[in-house]
Order: sequence, then C-alpha cells, then structure tokens
Amino acid sequence: MNISETDTDIDEQNLVERLKKGQQWAFNVLVNKYQSRLLKIAYGITLDREDSREVVQDVFISVFKNIQTFRQDASLATWLRKITINQCLNWKRKWKRRFKWSHESIESENDKTLFKENKKKNDPEMLYRGKQFEENLMQAVKTLPEKIRLVFVLNTFEGLSYEDIAKTLNIKKGTVSSRLHFARKNLINSLGIND
Amino acid sequence: MIKGVTFMKKSCNKYTSEDISRFVDNELSENQYHALTQHIIHCPACSRLVEQYRSISDVFNDHADQEILKIDRTELKQKIEYATQNSKGTSLGNVFGFFGKNIYLKLASITAIVMIGLFTFQGDLLGPSGPSAIVKYVDTDFSSVMIIETQKEQHTIIWFSET
Repeated sequence: MNISETDTDIDEQNLVERLKKGQQWAFNVLVNKYQSRLLKIAYGITLDREDSREVVQDVFISVFKNIQTFRQDASLATWLRKITINQCLNWKRKWKRRFKWSHESIESENDKTLFKENKKKNDPEMLYRGKQFEENLMQAVKTLPEKIRLVFVLNTFEGLSYEDIAKTLNIKKGTVSSRLHFARKNLINSLGIND
Repeated sequence: MIKGVTFMKKSCNKYTSEDISRFVDNELSENQYHALTQHIIHCPACSRLVEQYRSISDVFNDHADQEILKIDRTELKQKIEYATQNSKGTSLGNVFGFFGKNIYLKLASITAIVMIGLFTFQGDLLGPSGPSAIVKYVDTDFSSVMIIETQKEQHTIIWFSET
C-alpha cells in the first residue's frame, strides 16, 4: 500500500489507537514516519549500514508485537528511540564476542586546515580533502567507547538536550556534559587538529 | 560560574573546552551564553574550537544521512508474519481455538482421554486391589506371630501379639 505525504501527518494519538487496533495502514505510516530517524540512531551506534537496517526492522517487529503495552507516558518517538537503543546495545553485545572493532591509525595532516577553508566547497581538492576528513572522522568515531558514542549520537542526530539524554539513558546531566566533552576532545585529538 | 582555565595549546585563560562544548549545545545559562558569544568575537582559540566542535557534528550527521539504507518492507512484512505465527503457536488463544469448532467432538475426545487415564492409573490411585499375602502364621497359648509380605513391593511385615 502506498503512503502519501499527508498520511504521515496523522496525529500521534490517532496513530497509536490505530496501531493498537492492528491496522496495517497505521503500521505503514509508522515505518514511513520514523524509519530514517531510527536508522540514523542505529547506524550511529552500530556503525554498520546492514546491521542498522536489521536492528530497525527488529524494532518495528517489537513495536508490532508490544504496542498494547505502550501506555503513552512518553511520546511515541521517545518509546521508539529507547527500543532502538536497547536493540542496538543488545545487537552489539551479541557480536562483540565474535568481533572487535579495529583501531586503525589516522593520518590527518590535511584536516587541520579544513575548518578554515570550508568556503571553497566546490573545489575538487577541497571535496577530496573533505571526503578524507569524513573518513578519518568515522575511524575516530569507531574508537570512541560505546557509552560515549551513544551520548554523542543522541546529541548530534536527535538534537536532544542534556536533560533528555540523561533521562533516556538514566544517567546524570553532568555525566552527559562530560561525556560529550570527552567525545569531542577525543575526536579532535584523533584527527590531529588540536594545534 | 565559568572558571578561567587554560585549554589546549594556543589558549584562552577564560573558558574551558567543556564550556565551549556546552556553548555549542546551548546548555549554558543565558548570561554565560551571551558572555561567551561576545568573547568568541575576540578570541581566535575559542572561536576555532567552536567551529571544530560544530564541524565534527555536521560531518558525522551528513555521513549518517548518506549511509543509512531504507527498510525493506517486503522483508519486514515477512518477518512480522513469521513472528506472529510463532507467537500464536504458544498463545492461549490457540489453546482456546481448539474448542472453536466441533465442540462436542472435542469434548468427547477429552472425556475419553480422561477416562483412559483414570483406568490406566487406577491401581496407583486407589492402592492395592487385594490384601497382602500371609507367609507364615504361628499361634500359641500366650502369643501370636504373623509374617506378612506386601503385594507390590514385597516388603516383609512381622506382626506380634500377646494373647
């Protein structure tokens, strides 16, 4: 069934009621409306395209099976976000036994000047260096401890306040601040752009 | 209150890198935020750090936007159908579904199973069907002795009585 743009504008209360009634149409709207957000969170944690898709599929299956237990104490987005985080962490724990993230060395001489020259975005050399910077950044992101990256992901992708991140992860607001600071400082050190 | 602490190599003595991190996230108080906004205009070190912090977030965000795949709806539908079938297999609904059609036939089947079970285990449920065997019996003027053996386990019981 195709879903038009206006279908995704259905208000949350109505959507939840329809989901609880088991309407396939409502489920399609849910997937359409939230998949990109959830995929980004999952990608930020797993750092793998295929894994993040698998995780988010599992999230939607879980929602389909457990929608009757959703009491609407929080918004649907908050509930989905929490399920996604839990699924990702379980997913990672499952694979961690078999697989260790590789910690590759990072060469980033060109990265130091990137911030100053970002006006020349169409310059092929700058585009190449931009791509190089992105790759180096992603390598650096991989080396961040999971709990640090999780906070960074919620801040960067979801734009959550420190208070909301703290509530989502059940940690203190001060911890959110220090973890974000640690993430940024660590990334900049890894990229070699701190001098 | 923001303390004046040196950060990084080329530094600012007024703000820490954590202050800058909180500034980028708009998590400072209004007064602190305005003070730092004014400070950045004249401080290259802080200005550069703000730019760096924002850039790493922007690049990470753009990268994720490009990398994510769409959900395969057909695959999702199949997985949901599979999950639903599996959960139905163990649900109470399925058990009650047994009584849904041909209820008399099913009740008769259950009654038959119960009756067969009762008859099968009757011996165990109601105990031994006859008395134990008397192996030896001695009766004198002043006492009686009886040796008995139980039927199933074949335990020996010695019974003594003074007359």
